[in-house]
Amino acid sequence: MRIRPFEYHTAETIKEALTILEKYGTEIKVIAGGTDLLLAMKQKKILPHHLLNLLEINDLDYINDEPSEIRIGALAKHSYIASHPIIRNEATVLAEATGMIGSWQIRNVATIGGNLCNASPAADSAPPLLALNAKIVIADSKNEKNLPISSFFTGPGTTLLEPDQLLKEIIIPKTKSRRKANAYLKLTRRRGVDLALVGVAFHGELDESGEKLKNVAIAMGGVAPTPIRALEAEAELTDLSYEKAIKKIPIAAKAAVAATQPITDIRATAEYRKDIVDVYVRRTATKVLNILFNKDG
Amino acid sequence: MKIPLTITVNGERYDLEIKPNRTLLDLLREDLGLTGTKKGCGLGECGSCTVLLDGEPVKSCLILALQANGKEVLTIEGLGKGKPDPLQIAFVEKGAVQCGFCTPGMIMTAKALLNKNPQPNDLEIKEAIAGNLCRCTGYNKIVEAIKSCAASTKR
Amino acid sequence: MSEFDIVNKSYPQIDGLNKATGKTEFVSDLVLPNMLYGRVLRSPYAHARIDHIDISKAKSLRGVKAVITYDDTPRIKFGPRSEDWTILADGKVRFYGDEVAAVAAVDEDIAEEALDLIKVEYTELPAVFDPVEAMKPDAPLVHENKENNLAAEFKIEAGDVDQDLKNSYFVYKDRFYTNQVYQAYLEPMGALASVDLSGRITLWTGTQIPNMMRITYAKALGISLDKLRVIVPDYGGGFGAKMENNVHLITIVLAQKAGQPVKLINTRFDDFVGGNPRVAMYIDIKLGVTKDGFITGKDVHIVGTNGARTVYAPVIVATACYRPDSLYRFKSVRAIGHTVYTNTVPTSCFRGFGNSQMTFVLESALDMIAEELNIDPAELRLKNGIGENEVSIHGWKITSNGLKDCVLLATKKANWNQKRKKRKFFRGIGLACCNHVSGNRAFAREFDGGAGIVRIGRDGNVTVYYGESDMGQGQKTVFAQIVAERLGVPLDIITVEQVDTDISPFGMGSFATRGTLMGGNGVLKAAEDAFKQLAAVAADMLQAPPDEVECKKGKFFLKSSPQKSVSFKEVAEMATFKRAGAPVVGVGFYKPPTELPDPKTKYGNISPAYPFGCHIAEVEVDPDTGQITVTDYVAANDIGRAINPMAVEGQIQGGVAQGLGWTLMENMALDDKGKLINPDFLDYVIPCVMDVPEIKPILVEPVDPEGPYGAKGIGEPALNPVMAAITNAIYNATGIRIKELPITAEKMLKKLKEMKNKIK
Repeated sequence: MRIRPFEYHTAETIKEALTILEKYGTEIKVIAGGTDLLLAMKQKKILPHHLLNLLEINDLDYINDEPSEIRIGALAKHSYIASHPIIRNEATVLAEATGMIGSWQIRNVATIGGNLCNASPAADSAPPLLALNAKIVIADSKNEKNLPISSFFTGPGTTLLEPDQLLKEIIIPKTKSRRKANAYLKLTRRRGVDLALVGVAFHGELDESGEKLKNVAIAMGGVAPTPIRALEAEAELTDLSYEKAIKKIPIAAKAAVAATQPITDIRATAEYRKDIVDVYVRRTATKVLNILFNKDG
Repeated sequence: MKIPLTITVNGERYDLEIKPNRTLLDLLREDLGLTGTKKGCGLGECGSCTVLLDGEPVKSCLILALQANGKEVLTIEGLGKGKPDPLQIAFVEKGAVQCGFCTPGMIMTAKALLNKNPQPNDLEIKEAIAGNLCRCTGYNKIVEAIKSCAASTKR
Repeated sequence: MSEFDIVNKSYPQIDGLNKATGKTEFVSDLVLPNMLYGRVLRSPYAHARIDHIDISKAKSLRGVKAVITYDDTPRIKFGPRSEDWTILADGKVRFYGDEVAAVAAVDEDIAEEALDLIKVEYTELPAVFDPVEAMKPDAPLVHENKENNLAAEFKIEAGDVDQDLKNSYFVYKDRFYTNQVYQAYLEPMGALASVDLSGRITLWTGTQIPNMMRITYAKALGISLDKLRVIVPDYGGGFGAKMENNVHLITIVLAQKAGQPVKLINTRFDDFVGGNPRVAMYIDIKLGVTKDGFITGKDVHIVGTNGARTVYAPVIVATACYRPDSLYRFKSVRAIGHTVYTNTVPTSCFRGFGNSQMTFVLESALDMIAEELNIDPAELRLKNGIGENEVSIHGWKITSNGLKDCVLLATKKANWNQKRKKRKFFRGIGLACCNHVSGNRAFAREFDGGAGIVRIGRDGNVTVYYGESDMGQGQKTVFAQIVAERLGVPLDIITVEQVDTDISPFGMGSFATRGTLMGGNGVLKAAEDAFKQLAAVAADMLQAPPDEVECKKGKFFLKSSPQKSVSFKEVAEMATFKRAGAPVVGVGFYKPPTELPDPKTKYGNISPAYPFGCHIAEVEVDPDTGQITVTDYVAANDIGRAINPMAVEGQIQGGVAQGLGWTLMENMALDDKGKLINPDFLDYVIPCVMDVPEIKPILVEPVDPEGPYGAKGIGEPALNPVMAAITNAIYNATGIRIKELPITAEKMLKKLKEMKNKIK
């Protein structure tokens, strides 16, 4: 399980990196943290001739708190994100999910940009970002553009990123609601350190009156070719009071299940994944509702 | 083909030229002869190869040596200043060492934990070492050993 | 105050600090000048004819020093039990992972690259993976000369089972399945081999049976025993797996061919597909009881997976057939065990050695019987448990026996009575017992026993040579304690040398929970011999008769007047002077009062001492997800006198964690082509620290008449009862009987749903 020889490139600025990418096109792979990439290279799933190291680019691992959004540099490591006070307060669900990625050792190396670009259907960072309506910033040598993250993933292991493009940053819009809450649950085969067989992120907010639920977002990983939102399930709960919403949760959970198209593999059957989506939507929803409406649960 | 690498390992600076496909683990074990860091799976799943990179525990089998360029690495051999670290002593005395193959990686993770959080509770200890597999001890005595060092920091 | 200075006390491992500081050189850390790195090319098919192998490209790759195929090996058929092995595949591959060719190169990168350059043409053949399927008349044959794929048949019968079952008040009948699991020691298998000018081979490897392995390998290589030296450095765990394996022989042949030392350490992938995992078994059981809960007869049929060649599976299946028959007072027993060739990785020993499989079944059956009869499960065990100084149905002489105490103490500590009465929603508590051996005469080949050498040089330091194998369990420390106690010296002057077949006693090895008792007695006898020699010198120095002399804490003194003393070091120095430089060398051995079982009836006392145990698990089942959490665990084990209580606790906790992994998550999964689809720790999940609860060990210490200072073994009985303890707790929590391992969350949820549907 050796890493085959390759030519190594390193960039100190994004501009430099983009120039190199443009030159080598599909011949080159980008290494951010590398914990997924090197694994794939050892297992000979990919054999790139060139590798571009991004880690020497300064200041691409930031977490910036701005009035209407949080900006996360693509090279921010999971352990940094998971423990960052702004993320913990403003995007709790992302802190929770990134805190569950791999082991501590992996979280110290793996980056959010890498996790997203690797595009595993079960990537832990994706459901929270989907639920938070995050945007991503994609750069190539000519310009930069903002896209909703929901458009980023195109299939297992694939994104709309072109070979000469880089994922530069992630933008999480801040909500103006006076109250919001969210939660992430992840199914693993043991109590710690595992891939998400299923990941469910649930986000909800209170409306102006403080009596009704709005901006409900349910996002799921590991149950479709890409991480997905459960829009119909969200609609089931929107604009409901606590009592009504609580009663509606099982229906919403069923709607979420209906949105999935999981596969059966060595880790779990499709049927079990669906069962778990049902349970986890109910559990995250209940937890979030109880927080929003100050109930003991 | 070979690329220059400057790296500090256990306080000693090395200026090397290496092939880019070498992992940090290869560098430590094969090139520098520091075999205290173990290779249990090579795929980042067992934690035996854990070292501290700029103070953070990482799995050295899943990092290119070149990713550590300009950084400081601490391995099990560099722990303690002339005498064993309290963690090393605690692991031995509490029976947390059986075959000992997971031990260096386990101790390095524990060291990083105690550096950050000198008085971790049981759950914090377990969460920290969840990426270090041990097949001999059932972990009970490992947690105990780490806890005993946390207590002694308190004193 | 203990009557002992050193034994029965918790000491850290004598070489623990070397391990904790990274100074210990494990097999994979060893380096020799001019050393090459080896790799094995393995079969991508479960069953195929090899039509052609082209190694020319690999040979011409720069840095490659040797490429070997079957034709480069001695082409001898061999095997530890059955001569169905060759070094590298002879025209046919029989499992996914079978060894086809190998290379040695100047570095690992080149070795791996060379593997890609070996071109093999295969013709795929029909294959069979399940042992029951493999027994069917039309099944493909793994070996053409093995009819019905039968590797071995074992039969045992005592008493009239049919009659007893007929007369029983209740007979529990069911089929169980125990799956194939991987030992998952942290250091993969491997070896370093070097060949000298005369052709003599030195093999450094982590092996549990250095001497028996040497015999097998000398045969495989077509050389006399003296041409092979085996050295056992520290190694990272074994749990039964590290015995004979082709990877060692391949290393040797590569070193011979290259004329340079070769190190070949399995990648984790190679270790998964080419190791020696546990024997999977289908077990049918009929177990009868009287109305008041006395066990009558037991009828068992086992079909076990041998894999594509025989390592030790037949003896493991045999063990499953009859070992627990000495746990309870059976009136009659009968068992048939079939060990069946399959196109899967060869199976072998894993902590428990068949007894763990059968204990899972027997203890599950007893739980069902307890319910049927409305008897408390603990009481049922107490009622039937074999007692001390009893002879079992197969002639096993049970001497010391702490089974009853194990049950009583474990139930007390776990608050069993109260918890069994108070049922809680999806929480349960379960119990299981076990027995085991401390050495197995039937498994050891020419003889059983242990031997030691204790050397004391001029400096007064003590060096111990033993012939078993410390795979990390702390055997060296235990032996050092025994020797220190007997000599009357502090522990820190004792060194225990690595096993070296040129120097060490001819030990049988570490298996069958025999190390402490057999090896411990061996070094104890050696220490006694050394002590006598030193005492004679000390007596001279103290001007007293030798039997007046005693030694404690490093000082020889007179029993009658302890103030008259001379130090151990001075005595050692004087002894060396008197013998013109010869060190004091004590040699001793222990021959256990065991017998080879009768070939037909299998009647005979196979072990000098028998450990017992009773474990209690508490679980919580998540009714929505099926996830099972072991929340509490009490493990009472009868281990005779504990030489090192802390080490015993460590063995127990480690054994329980392994059993927990087997029960809840571990499984080697094959696709429909027989390919292992989870050959890594990502998808072959073993417990991490979060999965293991606090395991509370209880040491039950009846002094055993045969054990060194009364000690028995602990390795395997630490694991044997775990699976049933957990699944009995699951039954208590849910009413669902688990008959197939492992019970993953997904399978549990499926069963919960089935039950719900039934109730509806």
